[in-house]
Amino acid sequence: MIASIPEALGLLFTFQGLLALIAGTMLGIVLGALPGIGSTVAVAMILPFTLTMEQAPAILLLIAVYAGSVYGGSISAILINTPGTPQSAATCLDGYPMAQRGEAGKALGWATVASVAGGLTSALLLIFAAPQLAAFALNFGPIETFALILLGLTCIVSVSEGTLVKGLLAGALGLFLSTVGGDPITGEARFTFGDFRLIAGFDLLAVVIGVFALSEVLTRVAAKIEEDPPLVAFTGMVLPTLAEWRGRLGGLAKSVAIGCGIGVLPGTGAATAAFISYAEARRSSPRRANFGKGEPDGLIASESANNAVTGGALIPTMALGIPGDAVTAVMLATLTLHGVSPGVRLMTENPVLIAAIFSGFLVINLLLLPMGMMVSRISAPLLRMRESYMLGAIAMLCFIGVYFVRGNPFDLLVMVCAGAVGFLLRRQGYPMPPLVIGMVLGPTLEISLRHGLILTDGSFAAFFTGHPIALVLMALAAGALSLPLIRALRR
Amino acid sequence: MGRIFSERLAVSLTLLLIGSGLMLSTFGLSFAELGGAFSPTFFPRIVLIGWIALAALAVITDVAGRARAPHARWSAAAAVALALLGAAVLMSTLGFFLCSAGVSALILAVTGQRNPWLIAAYSITVPAVLSLLFSHVLKMPLPASPFFWWI
Repeated sequence: MIASIPEALGLLFTFQGLLALIAGTMLGIVLGALPGIGSTVAVAMILPFTLTMEQAPAILLLIAVYAGSVYGGSISAILINTPGTPQSAATCLDGYPMAQRGEAGKALGWATVASVAGGLTSALLLIFAAPQLAAFALNFGPIETFALILLGLTCIVSVSEGTLVKGLLAGALGLFLSTVGGDPITGEARFTFGDFRLIAGFDLLAVVIGVFALSEVLTRVAAKIEEDPPLVAFTGMVLPTLAEWRGRLGGLAKSVAIGCGIGVLPGTGAATAAFISYAEARRSSPRRANFGKGEPDGLIASESANNAVTGGALIPTMALGIPGDAVTAVMLATLTLHGVSPGVRLMTENPVLIAAIFSGFLVINLLLLPMGMMVSRISAPLLRMRESYMLGAIAMLCFIGVYFVRGNPFDLLVMVCAGAVGFLLRRQGYPMPPLVIGMVLGPTLEISLRHGLILTDGSFAAFFTGHPIALVLMALAAGALSLPLIRALRR
Repeated sequence: MGRIFSERLAVSLTLLLIGSGLMLSTFGLSFAELGGAFSPTFFPRIVLIGWIALAALAVITDVAGRARAPHARWSAAAAVALALLGAAVLMSTLGFFLCSAGVSALILAVTGQRNPWLIAAYSITVPAVLSLLFSHVLKMPLPASPFFWWI
């Protein structure tokens, strides 16, 4: 991949490429800062704008929005004590107390530098680790692929903390939805109940946009109308000096390592990383007594870890075609829209495109610093905007995005139904990322399982003999599945 | 009875019934006589067994548990859901502009916006700007609305 970088830079440094990087980062920060939108909805909102773009700029725009929104969440966390994205929830703990004592600019400065450090490190990890992982996975046959997807599915367990049964049930729902339509081997129609519109199956993006964006609109409409949040005084970002960093770099490095490590694990997510990193910093920091009262160490821990997750989450997504979370699941679906097949062959078949994406991701993380300084001032007044204006715009962009994917009005119906079902399920504590992960991984899981069984004359036991990689992967999957169960039983 | 039969339990029970119904439907499907892994129902049945087992567990958890769903303004949510459904059905005939104007006006009204001029201004301006942007600038034509085909 390194050899493709010069050619990739040609794709990156075009007018459209640069525009995608700059506008995407800016939009991502603004959308991330607006409470309730979140990274997945932000990416879904931008999706229709990418449909007329070329491959590389379109994907770069989405990645820029993703990385920008994770950082942008810290702005509202610090200024109005409401995390713009769930990833920034831990940022409120020390960011808002700092802002309350008149240091909002300083708090944003700490958050920005920590985010950039986390993002840049994870971008380097992505550039060096993803190609190695993809090269290793190239030797996989159907049995190994099945074991790999099974391992990917166990990430459902990690995104279902506290609601394991409901998380797994949502995952089963997603797997089932992926089976509707033509059978991948015989071509016969399944679960269409005579409706020809279902023969092609449910459109993944229609379901994703429905269960995330539209269900969010319904959830907010159904919630109690809240007063406008109070905004603390903010005149601009103040970057911390080098002297102020003394004694904090070790903590930063530890938080970045936690974020990168957790990001690579499919499904764990930036919110988990931020809280684990915050808890670790609170345990080990010499200034632990100040945590929760506006301690910069707390801000550094949560912001560096959540941004470090972005690059980590892209590793299994790009190298193996296994989405790390709902946002990367949307991105995988978008790759398909732009004529790129996600999976283990993605890097060998599109080396220049992948090099452009990875280099672009590095540039995006560099851009977070100047863009953050600029956009935080614009975003601050936007935080006073009434939620209803955002909800209307989200609903309209959902319709546009889904309509343009296939130009099929039936997909709009699917989206609205998915939104209503998502709203009802979310109210009862069913997490939605497992549903999307199940739907994304379902087709590959089915094909690899059935091919594997055909190869072994229907013997599932043969999956465990003569396939050491599959055996290791299945053991890992069993471990990943049983550990939280044991923990839950102990509780 | 009311204490046992909660909204949460109703959803779990519905999921259990849907899963069971889908499982039953796989026995009524007629496919070419291909056994084992070749059968189109092979994988869905495995998934549905998992679905039913998990839904049954969810029902038990919800009967035993005391957790309640948060309070909701059902009428507001239902009105917006119906408007969205209507927009999805009528998008081909009424076009993007009219459908979006209706949906956004309703969302603003049910979320506490009381100024009719502001509601009208937003519901006309935002869909019109989006229509112009996509249809004329990005050259991705959205379904046109009667009387407003020129947007």
